[in-house]
Amino acid sequence: MVAVPGDDHAHDHKPGFFTRWFLSTNHKDIGTLYLIFAIVAGVLGGYLSFMMRAELGEPGIQIFDEDVRRFNVYATMHGLIMIFFVVMPALIGGFGNWFVPIMIGAPDMAFPRMNNLSFWLLPTAFACLIISFFVSGGDGDGFGGGWVMYPPLSTSGSPGPAFDFIIIGLLAAGFSSIFGAINFITTILNMRAPGMTIHKMPLFAWSVLVTAFLLLLALPVLAASLFMLLTDRIPGGTGFFNPAMGGDPVMFQHLFWFFGHPEVYIMILPAFGIVSHVISTNSRKPVFGYLGMAYAMVAIGVVGFVVWAHHMYTVGMDVNLKAYFVAATLVIAVPTGVKVFSWLATMWGGSLRFTIPMQWALAFIALFVIGGVTGVMLANAGFDTWAHDTYFVVAHFHYVLSMGAVFGIFCGFYYWFGKMSGYLYNKWLAGAHFWLFFIGVNMIFMPQHFIGMNRRHVDFPVEMADGNWLSTMGIIPTGVGMLFFFLMLAEAFIRKRPAGDNYWGEGATTLEWTLPSPPPFHQFNTLPRISDDDGH
Amino acid sequence: MPRNRLTAILLTLAAGVMLVGGFQFDVLYAKFCQITGYGGTTGRAELNDSEVLDRSVRVYFDSNVAPDLNWEFKPEQRYIDVSLGQSGLAYYQVKNRSNKPIVGTANFNVTPIKAAPFFIKTECFCFTEQLIRPGEKVVMPVLFFVDPQMDDEKRYDDIKELTLSYTFFKVENPETQVIDKSAAQSRDEVN
Repeated sequence: MVAVPGDDHAHDHKPGFFTRWFLSTNHKDIGTLYLIFAIVAGVLGGYLSFMMRAELGEPGIQIFDEDVRRFNVYATMHGLIMIFFVVMPALIGGFGNWFVPIMIGAPDMAFPRMNNLSFWLLPTAFACLIISFFVSGGDGDGFGGGWVMYPPLSTSGSPGPAFDFIIIGLLAAGFSSIFGAINFITTILNMRAPGMTIHKMPLFAWSVLVTAFLLLLALPVLAASLFMLLTDRIPGGTGFFNPAMGGDPVMFQHLFWFFGHPEVYIMILPAFGIVSHVISTNSRKPVFGYLGMAYAMVAIGVVGFVVWAHHMYTVGMDVNLKAYFVAATLVIAVPTGVKVFSWLATMWGGSLRFTIPMQWALAFIALFVIGGVTGVMLANAGFDTWAHDTYFVVAHFHYVLSMGAVFGIFCGFYYWFGKMSGYLYNKWLAGAHFWLFFIGVNMIFMPQHFIGMNRRHVDFPVEMADGNWLSTMGIIPTGVGMLFFFLMLAEAFIRKRPAGDNYWGEGATTLEWTLPSPPPFHQFNTLPRISDDDGH
Repeated sequence: MPRNRLTAILLTLAAGVMLVGGFQFDVLYAKFCQITGYGGTTGRAELNDSEVLDRSVRVYFDSNVAPDLNWEFKPEQRYIDVSLGQSGLAYYQVKNRSNKPIVGTANFNVTPIKAAPFFIKTECFCFTEQLIRPGEKVVMPVLFFVDPQMDDEKRYDDIKELTLSYTFFKVENPETQVIDKSAAQSRDEVN
């Protein structure tokens, strides 16, 4: 990669505080805002899950004794917050905004003001969700119908305004993501630096490109189904999902999962991109099978659109249809396998360093594979009918999301923390965060495979007490680990150890490492040129 | 940058197509269900001119009423044995237990779902809205046959029983006019 000449005069002329952070059009500042937002929302989403785990620590009702329905409200909000306000803002809005323009050698995003709109729709949406928590949802406050929002529970079953606020919030978050997706695709397709062909583009940019296409095609379907729920809820309104008016509640499930399944790849693909960079950097080798890695993500994205009904094997589908969805779902294991084996091959013969981001990346691979294996099990309609709506499913999707996507977020955070802030983190604090969090989440979710309990229940029979107790104990290391994360942040910003341009040294070859840490307010006023013999 | 604008317009169009597609999905879905019998959607024909095969199935009859509809609704027979291609006639009985005239409409499906496309109705009370007066008891027929094409494919060989299920719902804004007796009389006088 070529150093960037002469673009450091008078660039760090930053606007005042209000203009800089509230009217921001700078991709790095918006990325920072997204990351801060995701951390705040993550604390709330984590708090909700801790309360649920505390309730399930022993048989009987401990915490939700005033209103057991509140447990389901917590579960619903935990799911919605973690998906729409933690994982997506962190991976796509946060790291995507920060590093996609830099990695492809662009000065900023294609539509900086739309970028600002994308971000500020999110706190608005989040406020709607918080309001929903405290207003009536029929027989108590909040909406407890699960993040999947199936009618009729979400239509005639939840008369109060609580669910209307969720609909409005999710519509705002959805449009925020659609605008973001348009911005990312335009930036990546049109604004690459000279010589940066699409087949030389770093894998993280590839992952965000595929993710943005998934967002663009999946989220409008969610928006449509939410609109339909909204009009179905109006007394005397439509009856899209109401059998009494010729509608079909199962149709909502089809619409929802047509969005919902691409959504899970939206959450994991950017993490794939981050992990590829971290493993390549810390093996001091280019990533193995670059084109295979890129097109594996494309394949996952394409096939991800035609497997949705594996979430609804129990609605009463014809066996031939089930056979199709089983086969199509199992096919996804192939490109995913290509990625996992390419990561292993990248490390093979490499000069490995077990830095903090590398530890997160290795844990990501191991735990994501566990979640992937249970996913292959659940893809089979026969097994899935048996395990449907149990904690086996909960354990499965937390292994791929809570440990997959979230480990990807922390992996990227530690990898780029010095680049974003300009400071080095304390390795001991960061290590304590990793090990406590690693032990904690495995303690929480590994026993859940074996409890044999139904989902969304506030109580359980005494035979299930041991597994639930162990699972609940896991929140202690997880919570303490998160304390170390905040300690690490505070320590780094107090001590202010300068990071230097490329603190990973050999192996860190993408364009962000040619810039100072933190990068100047505006980078690449003279576009970098990527020569033909440069790698990716 | 006009190129950026063009890309953005194309992408917005793509998102718009998906949005409209989401709204139009109910139309697609209804068509899809009709063609494939997905979800137990049955077929419909004007008359039965199919040949009768030497294979019979037992058709069970089931009835349900939505909670907000004060009707009594039950089949007059639990089951009928019909040969494939042979027309079967079954009766359901409905009684309005409330003191108001009510318009209802029945939804239906057939299980096992894979056999639903072969279950064909030529005449059914479920095709139209039903107005039942207070306390009135009505017997309603359903004329059907099982398409003998079901015998052509091996995967339907295990089908020996079918269940036809109806659920009556209240119609909030009926096309059928609910006219109570006094109003009907006054209209007769005018005519």
